[in-house]
Amino acid sequence: MSIFDRALLEAVLLGAACGPLGLWILAFRQSYAAESLSHAMLPGLALAAIAGAPLLLGAAGGIGVAAVVIALAARDRRIGADLAVAVTVTTVFGAGVLLANTPEIPPKLADILFGDLLGVTDADLIAAAVLALGTAAGLASGHRALAVAVHDPQAARALGTNPARVQAALLVALAAAMVVAVQGLGNLLVVAVIVAPPIVAQRLARTLMAQVVAAGVVGAAGGALGVVVSDRLSLAAGASVALVLTFAALLAVTLRSAGGEQRHARSPIEALGG
Amino acid sequence: MTEELLRTAGVRAGYVPSVDVLRDLDFAVDAGQSVGVLAPNGGGKTTLFRTLLGELTPRAGDVTLDAPVAAVPQGDHARLDFPVTALDVTLMGAYARTPWYRRIAKADRERAEAALERVGMADRRDARYGTLSGGQRRRVLIARALLQDARILLLDEPFAGVDRTSEERILHVLDELVAEGRALLIATHDVEQARRWDRVLCLNGRQVAFGPPADTLTAPILRETYGAELVVVGDGDGEEAICAPHHDCGGH
Amino acid sequence: MPEFLTRALIEVLLLSVAGGLLGTWIVLRRLAFFTHAAGSATFPGLVVASPWGIPAQVAALGAGLLYAGGLERLVRKRNVAPDAATALLLVLALAGGTILASDAYPAGAGVDRLLFGTLLGLTDGDLAMSAAVAVAALAGTAALGRTWLATGFDPQAAPALHIRTGRGDALLLAGLALTVVAALPAVGALLVGTLLVVPAATARLLTDRLRTLQLLAVTLAAAEGVGGLLLAYQYDLPPGPAIALLGGAAYALAAVAATKR
Repeated sequence: MSIFDRALLEAVLLGAACGPLGLWILAFRQSYAAESLSHAMLPGLALAAIAGAPLLLGAAGGIGVAAVVIALAARDRRIGADLAVAVTVTTVFGAGVLLANTPEIPPKLADILFGDLLGVTDADLIAAAVLALGTAAGLASGHRALAVAVHDPQAARALGTNPARVQAALLVALAAAMVVAVQGLGNLLVVAVIVAPPIVAQRLARTLMAQVVAAGVVGAAGGALGVVVSDRLSLAAGASVALVLTFAALLAVTLRSAGGEQRHARSPIEALGG
Repeated sequence: MTEELLRTAGVRAGYVPSVDVLRDLDFAVDAGQSVGVLAPNGGGKTTLFRTLLGELTPRAGDVTLDAPVAAVPQGDHARLDFPVTALDVTLMGAYARTPWYRRIAKADRERAEAALERVGMADRRDARYGTLSGGQRRRVLIARALLQDARILLLDEPFAGVDRTSEERILHVLDELVAEGRALLIATHDVEQARRWDRVLCLNGRQVAFGPPADTLTAPILRETYGAELVVVGDGDGEEAICAPHHDCGGH
Repeated sequence: MPEFLTRALIEVLLLSVAGGLLGTWIVLRRLAFFTHAAGSATFPGLVVASPWGIPAQVAALGAGLLYAGGLERLVRKRNVAPDAATALLLVLALAGGTILASDAYPAGAGVDRLLFGTLLGLTDGDLAMSAAVAVAALAGTAALGRTWLATGFDPQAAPALHIRTGRGDALLLAGLALTVVAALPAVGALLVGTLLVVPAATARLLTDRLRTLQLLAVTLAAAEGVGGLLLAYQYDLPPGPAIALLGGAAYALAAVAATKR
């Protein structure tokens, strides 16, 4: 397989896996968690690179530690989850940068931050394939639980599912997806493949199931297109995938407004969800 | 000689261009009068209050206000984790008249403390607002409305979820305010409590009725107000106790 | 002490004023994600500043305003959820900046400096901007502190109190944007939170009174900024991450102290 083919396949697999996952992340309003988890991986990645261990392991470890720290920090009511994430991630990311700056690291900091889609190995492809299959299976079997937990948490409890647990499971799946995707897209850009495809899918399809599938298709297509663009225009691969996906989202949003609650905000900051 | 403080005439109001949320508002409130406002959820109570506060312009009709208006909201949108004391919240009532280049006047501080005294919260004035009970917070919000020098007060379910002590205190303060010549509009779901006010205004997308409790708190009018959700309980003496939905009638 | 270090220390002290004062509102009004995204959004501006011959602050401000404007449109007019819109614009900016930095205007090692700050090469313009932002933060807090407090406390009730919520919030966001841009040379686009968010969050753990919160936030920002800078100088590190580590340590200590109370 040529480098191009590998990159293409990786991008398609990642898009297909992360798109549907991203739809649920958006539904649960957890985009911030997604963005933060990706940053939180950095020290783990850096340590793994220093130690010569598989990056996957480092990413997983990093996210695990960060999740624990965030959970501890979020316990103070005056701080709340968002701020706890902000503080933890800033600190952890800073630590990661310092680690990644040490001369022992073979890959440059840039690769860790922005991904190295062209350096995809067989192991990475297998991981991506497993991820794609795993998320498809997981989301399919958990579809009802997820739908109820999002739309009607009260009913969820009555039906025997715990919305908090469902959301937690979703975040764990997200973490796993990011650990796999970070190889190709890097720390900073992986959130593109989580957030952009759902935004397109919500404007393409009406029913929830159709949106989930559409998100996967859009993710895969965007990934493929990004690699092609990168190859034709000689641009950085990971960034090209991210750009194609975010442009697609902006286009979708301009062409079609999704239905949904028009919130009446009394101030600009309240509108920002703050 | 009674002085009319508030009058609505043929008022229609809404948010989305083609849809009226509230129609046919035609009532007047005098100084020293209390009005219970009964409405189902979505029946137009919030729209009424916002129109009277000037936040919403009526599409038709006239709203005449001859005195300053202030709201005492339920306060469930307030950030209870904010670093503000009861006194701080009360002082927010003086913000409107304090230009941005001035500090809050000493006179206003003293008046805020007096207002808290009136509602029985003087000893908790330095407590963080979020640490107060629901009833105590409601009382602080009344103090804030007093600081605004309002003669017309719009109270949004001031007794909902409030403990006994606070409820008694609030009732006492409201009666005092009425005696002082203010006009009170009290949104409530407690039909039995509404009997104690001077007038009752029933809303359900439009003004269903306005008048003394004896005339308005009748089964037909209440059915028109609350629709099929109304529960009418006979207590054996031939007298009916009427329970509006959303209200816990057990304790009363 | 070498001249560049003195400059850097003055810069950080100046930044801690706005960082602490406005950081208080970032913490109270839940603007941490917005701020981080705003910082990251300046990245493409910073990349093109030199090749296009524009002053870095202007380019950064331009990019930041595009982000803020884009966010407003997406959330209000296009009905995108605020957190999703923020994440989308953030990654768009980073991806755009990456392409610009690696393919259009290869900046090489310069990218590190843009992302994580530098001790060297702080210009008079940088210092002037930080001073101006410090003054603006003080003035804004004095003039608008009440408005910001009342709006944040109960945005639905604020209009009834005749609080000018729209104007107050617009000015707060403008102040934030300017502070973010001012902080870029010292801590970099990805770590503006080290001066704007973490110190104020730490202060929030330690006090429930607004005045104290603001003073503490400024003090912590200054202490962490200076400490981080000295560490960076001593061990030849980029300043942003060094300040971040100190900030994290301080937060952890404060968290432990808070549980003991």
